[in-house]
Amino acid sequence: MALRRVSATLAVLLLAIALPASAALRVVATFPDLADMTRQIGGERVDVVTIAEGNQDPHKVPVKPSFVTKLNRADAVVVMGLGLEHAFLPPLLEVARNAKIAPGESGYIDASLYVTPLEVPTSQNRTQGELHPLGNPHFNLDPVQGKLMARAIAEGLERVDPDGAQTYQNGLARYTALLDGKIAEWAKLAAPLRGVRAVSYHPDLIYLAERYGIELIGTIETKPGVPATPAHLEELIDAMKQHKTQLVVREVAYELPLAQTVAERTGARVVTISTLTGGLPGTDTYVDFVDANLRALVGALSTAGSP
Amino acid sequence: MDRHRIARAGLAAGLVTCACLSPGLNARAADTSDVKTLQQELAVTQDELAKTKSELQETKDTLNALKQRVETLAAAAPAGPGLAPGTTARLAPVNADNPAISFVVDTTARSNTHGDGGSPLEGGNGFALRSGELFISAPIDPFLRGYATINGNTTQGFDIEEAAVVTTALPWNLTVKGGRYFADVGRLSHWHDEALPFVDRPPSLDRIIGGESRAEGIEVSWLAPTEQFIQITGGIYNSIGQQVGTELTNTFGVGSYSELTYLVHPTTYIDLTDTLNVEVGGTYFGVPKDHDRNLYGVDVTFRHQPGTSGFYQGTTLGIEWLWNNERFANQKPLFTASGAPLLTDPALPFDPETNPQVFGSRLNKVQGGYAYFESFFGRRFSAGLRVDYSEAPADIVNTSLLFIAPLSPNPEQIRTYSMFVTWMPSEFHRLRLQLDQIVARGQPDDQRITLQWTAFLGSHSHGFTTR
Repeated sequence: MALRRVSATLAVLLLAIALPASAALRVVATFPDLADMTRQIGGERVDVVTIAEGNQDPHKVPVKPSFVTKLNRADAVVVMGLGLEHAFLPPLLEVARNAKIAPGESGYIDASLYVTPLEVPTSQNRTQGELHPLGNPHFNLDPVQGKLMARAIAEGLERVDPDGAQTYQNGLARYTALLDGKIAEWAKLAAPLRGVRAVSYHPDLIYLAERYGIELIGTIETKPGVPATPAHLEELIDAMKQHKTQLVVREVAYELPLAQTVAERTGARVVTISTLTGGLPGTDTYVDFVDANLRALVGALSTAGSP
Repeated sequence: MDRHRIARAGLAAGLVTCACLSPGLNARAADTSDVKTLQQELAVTQDELAKTKSELQETKDTLNALKQRVETLAAAAPAGPGLAPGTTARLAPVNADNPAISFVVDTTARSNTHGDGGSPLEGGNGFALRSGELFISAPIDPFLRGYATINGNTTQGFDIEEAAVVTTALPWNLTVKGGRYFADVGRLSHWHDEALPFVDRPPSLDRIIGGESRAEGIEVSWLAPTEQFIQITGGIYNSIGQQVGTELTNTFGVGSYSELTYLVHPTTYIDLTDTLNVEVGGTYFGVPKDHDRNLYGVDVTFRHQPGTSGFYQGTTLGIEWLWNNERFANQKPLFTASGAPLLTDPALPFDPETNPQVFGSRLNKVQGGYAYFESFFGRRFSAGLRVDYSEAPADIVNTSLLFIAPLSPNPEQIRTYSMFVTWMPSEFHRLRLQLDQIVARGQPDDQRITLQWTAFLGSHSHGFTTR
């Protein structure tokens, strides 16, 4: 009799473990941008958790075991793609024991699918730094690429959850309309940026620069992922002076002092932006993130001194 | 579009306009029939205009529809080059015939106070290829992946450290690993040398486990399907590490199942705050026959990971302690520096084939462990301290050094205090300086300085294990 009771209790416990807590689609988003878009598109049909924080360097996201359990129970994983997650997602997926979210499977939603990659390296030579073989993965800074990201996410959710197709299509239509409206506003807001010359810490501004006509002169890093050397900094400072560079763009995940030093030596202004949603205060949504970045850049043109 | 109709309509419209704008002319041609004719022409022209308008609208609609379709099709087609229809993710191209290959060059320059032979631990002045590690890995099929590590170094030549296959698609959150690999013992025992946060493996692990937890056998790992990370690993192996007596066993396993080594290693992880977490594990492995070996271990790792862009980037605090009860059977005899047998106890048994005298069988109880912290600064620097305590049977440890030690019931104790600084010029290149103060009972203290220079050729990662 006692044995039966124990068995019944164990069975109930096992059922409690095995049954999902809610009927919503369990989605793990690698970055907050993707989490916000997934929520905007999927509404209450999706339950989204995020791996990286907005102020983290995407190349240095810690590989925590708590992410393994989230991935293990996920119906889908939404990734930025183009190798931005290379430092943390492959080892997590390797031990997550969830074949349906493996790369290339239906639950692996790649937000870069419709983006035309820029700066695709023609050579995989490490003398050129830590290159992303599929191209520069920082396309999320350009809101027009954001529309393509949203589309890839909506299609991915529909693939995983065909019953929710109408929800996702409606969500995508609403979100695209929102972005369209904002993109028109941002085009006017960012008009002063056209022709402005800037340097960044890491080569992550290319999509934003192409969209709003910013001329990029170089990076504080010697090569992608390789810290600045004194010789490189001297060359950069000379080039900045020669091109009358106005802005030193410091991404929030990188240290401020070096950017300030470069700015002081060249008469440029330091402006802090984020490469991910949530990286700056008050930027919990993708729209807020793009808005904050553009306002910071435009604001830096009219405000003397560093932030 | 009917050009004639448009021309006629234009002519009529012109006439009407002229008629309207020229009252004098109108008056001169003011007979009734002309007016009627003009009115009819006007009506026809109005009809024609309405039709033309309608056709223009239709054409406009068609053009708009076509434009919309083109836009839709353009948006639907993958924008990037080379993506086949139906592609759902941009993935780096993989050649099934070429596995991922990497090679690690791990070199050291070392100096110590007493030189080679004068240190309780590894000593000597000079340079060494500490490890040249070839790492190969690839998916094998949808159910299996495989990897191998071939390692060579200055003292031991080349060796297959690992050659293993791991399942990837078993149900119930299970994975099974088979072959030769580092068994899932504690925390740092199954890390490769070049992945360690120090120049050397903690001496306690070296002396109690015998370096890495190398094993040949089968290992099953289960991840609990819960929000809380709980993983339990169980395994059966010929032996783990450099188990005493391993070299005397047959090359093909052991005599009976009770002589195999059995392992269980549960581990869990807790996020204490957003930036502080702890990982706790327990290890047991043993040989059932005559209780030849029972090893218990506990490991705790705290990590502070603030995810900040400031100079301070985080800290890891790791503690591991092992208790080892191991029976030493058929141990080779010890000799003095002159070659005379050291053991003279007549109660000890004799081995008529190999040696005149052996230890016989004796259970040794030793313990040891380490604690270290490492803090990370400015993206490319780290620095830390390590304290290590280890015990080992004196007569076993010093065999290679011809150190004359009586059969003391007290194990030899060694304490090591280490300080290490690491600089990574890039993700694939590292320099590390380590200072060790080695304190052993009955021996002079030894100071050791080691500079390690490590480079990674190709894509190198031991994955989740060495997080």
